[in-house]
Amino acid sequence: MTPFRKHRDGTVSARFPEDEAELLTSLAEQSIDLARAAADPDADGFDPALDRLLPDAYPDDPQASAEFRRFTAAGLAERKEASARTMIESLSRREDGTAVAVLDAAQVTAWLRTITDVRLVLAARLGIHEDGDEGDIHDEDTALQRAVYDWLAGVQELLVMTVQPRR
Amino acid sequence: MSSLPATGADTLEETGTDELLELGSPWVTIVWNDPVNLMSYVTYVFQTYFGFPRREAERLMMLVHTEGRAVVATGTREEMERHVEAMHDYGLWATLTKADA
Repeated sequence: MTPFRKHRDGTVSARFPEDEAELLTSLAEQSIDLARAAADPDADGFDPALDRLLPDAYPDDPQASAEFRRFTAAGLAERKEASARTMIESLSRREDGTAVAVLDAAQVTAWLRTITDVRLVLAARLGIHEDGDEGDIHDEDTALQRAVYDWLAGVQELLVMTVQPRR
Repeated sequence: MSSLPATGADTLEETGTDELLELGSPWVTIVWNDPVNLMSYVTYVFQTYFGFPRREAERLMMLVHTEGRAVVATGTREEMERHVEAMHDYGLWATLTKADA
């Protein structure tokens, strides 16, 4: 990818080679399914990855946490899904075989949130629980997940640096 | 010299305290450290959502990073629930609790 550039009209833009655009699109699509699963009250079993998307609001009060979840989970999942769809849409434009993402403020927020959600899930799947954890990397799949996790951090860092208010 | 009966003053004081606890600011929003979110992103969220100046946003981010948690807002339970929900929108790990807990 190219670094994000800020334009006079307030938008930011970056170019992604086809394979990176496809990867980002695929991750955003998976994030939609995960957001839905996280908010599904009938889901079986406990999945730490989904739990991290919608964490307990009251750490010492399971009842209040359940109540909070009942009132907020559907809305949170819907907004996570909408963010992922916004990211997918903004990756659809092509110029000379590369994806050109031009983002306004709302689209920037959607990207930052979706990248965060994907990284939260990857971290939980890899067993990254504390600062400095490498994660349980034991085969090609997990090595690839770790590489994607780090690459997304780079994309997000570049985007944050471009839009962060100076003061 | 006259003085108010002690019981009267106590009652007044207690009523005042109770009301403070009911209507005042006894709840806090806490953001917890996690290994995933970037320091720059956490600062950005504190700046753009709470409207903190960059310096204050960075101070709070560093508190989260070094102490494991930081109080980022104080207010009513309903307000804090709104903040926690907003933090979950951003993917930050946030909880609320009574300020004296």
